[in-house]
Amino acid sequence: MDTFLAALFSGTSRGAIYALVALGLVIVWRGAGVVNFAQMGQAMFSTYIASALIQNGNSYWVGFFVALFAGSILGALLDILIMRPLSNKKKTELLSSESMRAAVPVIASLGILGALQALAGIIWAAEERGFPAPAPQEGFSVASSIMPFTSFDLFVISIVAATLVMTTLFFKRTGVGLAMRATALNQEVARLSGIRTNFTRALSWAISGAASSLAGLLITPTSNLSPNTLDLVLIIGFTAAVVGGLDSPAGAVLGGFILGLVISFVTFYLSPEDVFISILGVLLVVLIVKPRGILGGKDARRV
Amino acid sequence: MLEINSLTTSFGSVVALDGVSMSVQESKITTVIGANGAGKSTLLRTISGLEHPAKGSITWDGKSIIGWKPEDVVRAGIAHVPEGHAVISELSVEENINMGSLFRRRVNKKDVAAALEETYHLFPRLQERRKQLAGTLSGGERQMLAISRALVSRPKLLLLDEPSLGLAPLVVEQIIDCVNTLCRSTGLTVLLVEQNANTALGVADHGVLLALGKVVADRPAAELKADSSLRAAYLGY
Ligand SMILES: Nc1ncnc2c1ncn2[C@@H]1O[C@H](COP(=O)(O)OP(=O)(O)OP(=O)(O)O)[C@@H](O)[C@H]1O
Ligand SMILES: [Mg+2]
Repeated sequence: MDTFLAALFSGTSRGAIYALVALGLVIVWRGAGVVNFAQMGQAMFSTYIASALIQNGNSYWVGFFVALFAGSILGALLDILIMRPLSNKKKTELLSSESMRAAVPVIASLGILGALQALAGIIWAAEERGFPAPAPQEGFSVASSIMPFTSFDLFVISIVAATLVMTTLFFKRTGVGLAMRATALNQEVARLSGIRTNFTRALSWAISGAASSLAGLLITPTSNLSPNTLDLVLIIGFTAAVVGGLDSPAGAVLGGFILGLVISFVTFYLSPEDVFISILGVLLVVLIVKPRGILGGKDARRV
Repeated sequence: MLEINSLTTSFGSVVALDGVSMSVQESKITTVIGANGAGKSTLLRTISGLEHPAKGSITWDGKSIIGWKPEDVVRAGIAHVPEGHAVISELSVEENINMGSLFRRRVNKKDVAAALEETYHLFPRLQERRKQLAGTLSGGERQMLAISRALVSRPKLLLLDEPSLGLAPLVVEQIIDCVNTLCRSTGLTVLLVEQNANTALGVADHGVLLALGKVVADRPAAELKADSSLRAAYLGY
């Protein structure tokens, strides 16, 4: 029973982080039409900024909030300085086929990932360093018996839950949220309605940048920080987004939790070596049963 | 109030608009008619900034709007309802309408609410279905929704692209009636594109006949409607 609870809690807290990563990917995919492979490079970079601040004597929370802010600014800048010029219709007319044009931003995002990793290596040296957690990572103890979860797990789960609620309210209840959803769904109609789609697109990059930076801050205490540490998280987050449905923010969150739990239960009950094959298994089963993901493609469009 | 001069828009080697000159008078309904592929939609899309012309000028309220982004053209008072009931299926009816007034919600909150009420008054069926996803609406309701979205931006000029497309005659009449009433009661200026020439010329003040991207007739609507030889030559009936 203890093993079960431990797997459940650690899976939920891991899953919460993957949910953030997947959500970040889905927001940029829907809002800007790009699968952003640089996302966890951005997160790594802002986590390094937090780490540098904390090492220089600032409090954890200063590092934490500056990193989130830096993550959103970096996201918006990547869109404005690199992605927007690349999607300029006139300039890409040279590329004859539609598929080649669609590949441009993907290749660019891979290039950005490489550049960010190299830059982090140059600025902060490539060896691993630890990153602090704001809450203890030992088992929570209640009346002298040790619980199967840590205060840090609780911290992660509650901060991610709060973020997800806030994001949902933002998209559903605010005018800017509506403008972003409209842009994601039909750019032409959005523009004809007076929505500045350049702005909403940059904003989706910024929100995604903040969400993935939060994921970086929450995952590095358990995995150390180096320019490449978050590569694996990106792969799992991407799988989570595909499992849940790349078109669906709710699906991304669901996919994140599913993968977190699968990984945790496999690690606890089988062995860590079986993790990859089980992720692949989940991906294959979902893609065969529902090729567009669990919540993907459930639109009400009638033709 | 809208002046178009020798406007030319091409897609690669296809010249969709070939030196079009015409004007739209304030508080009047002007209709552009013509066969499939005549360039009617391209004309509206060029005015609203969705397509970029190779040559020519578009002057709105004394300002050239060539090269403006679509979002800036709407903000200047020209609302475009594109061909094919352009609504966003995955958003609710009310969200679709609200989309059109997002850009001015901070400037004039009260008027945004008033505009929503007015459209519901105009199309009560939309109010009954306000929480429903737009994708579940009928074709006629979707056209009403697309028009509502345009109206809440409080346009001075409404560009309507084939509102009758795929709708039953009764619904077409209802929608055209609404537009007509709006124009006559509020002074809204309308540029109506139609293939259904009789219906359009029936409500319009002025008619422009387009063929292969060129203006072949530009006259009062009643005159154009009476000219059976032009109709036979360009519209085939
Ligand atoms: N995006 C585009 N790419 C290439 N050619 C286009 C494009 N849009 C329009 N055309 C061409 O321009 C010409 C005019 O098209 P347009 O859609 O303006 O006609 P229309 O008068 O609106 O016709 P319909 O009554 O069928 O809607 C057509 O020959 C069409 O094939
Ligand atoms: Mg057309």
